[in-house]
Amino acid sequence: MRFMVIMKANEESESNQMPTTEMLAEMGKFNEELVRAGVMLAGEGLLPSSEGARVRFAGNAEPTVIDGPFAESKELVAGFWILQVKSKEEVIEWVKRVPNTDGAHHEIEIRRIAEAEDFGDNLTPELREAEEKLRAEAAKNA
Amino acid sequence: MRFLVMVKANADSEAGVMPSAELMAQMSKFNDELAASGHLVQAEGLAPSSAGARLVYFDGEPQPQVVDGPFAETKELVAGLWILQGESVAEIVELLKRAPNPDLQAGTVEIRPLVP
Repeated sequence: MRFMVIMKANEESESNQMPTTEMLAEMGKFNEELVRAGVMLAGEGLLPSSEGARVRFAGNAEPTVIDGPFAESKELVAGFWILQVKSKEEVIEWVKRVPNTDGAHHEIEIRRIAEAEDFGDNLTPELREAEEKLRAEAAKNA
Repeated sequence: MRFLVMVKANADSEAGVMPSAELMAQMSKFNDELAASGHLVQAEGLAPSSAGARLVYFDGEPQPQVVDGPFAETKELVAGLWILQGESVAEIVELLKRAPNPDLQAGTVEIRPLVP
């Protein structure tokens, strides 16, 4: 099972204040443990929302583009992991150990990634095969 | 430069309603184009927040509290993601304007550059 673990933003991350050296060192150590345990598939930090944009869709109209920064900082994403584990309980145990040296986290969200089985019959065998080919193609772009 | 593109949740995605066969076919075609042009690194859908959990941290508390989903603020939740490679936010915006939306559903896609 794969999970997306979402770190929420705070005022520091939104003002482009980078983590302290101590925090970076502890996070590096934690990530190393995740890799050694065969759990970590990806781990990334995001730049502040001021560097981002939103594309808003509404019916037939041309989508509207809104440049960042976005106001609701506690709902914004500041970083994420993609972890592979056996169960939700296992991922929760890992996430409880995320270093919080700077007292920076207010909330971390854990979300299961849908697998082919989750899509039911709408994912036809043809689409499923196309999906597998696509993943191989995308891996080359990584 | 790499970007995280987040598709926000709606009532259907939170209820676990899977995309229609038409949307899946169109999305598969769109992803193919993104892969062929060298933009696509990863694309995933998330299960509804009812399959997830949150760890909430309180000041002065060493251990976070675990709260099981579902979560209420549907429009702020993430329902799917792409990781795309491109030169600028503007380039990714142009790509995403072409994302299939056969049901003409209102919704927002958020584009955020990753720390290089």
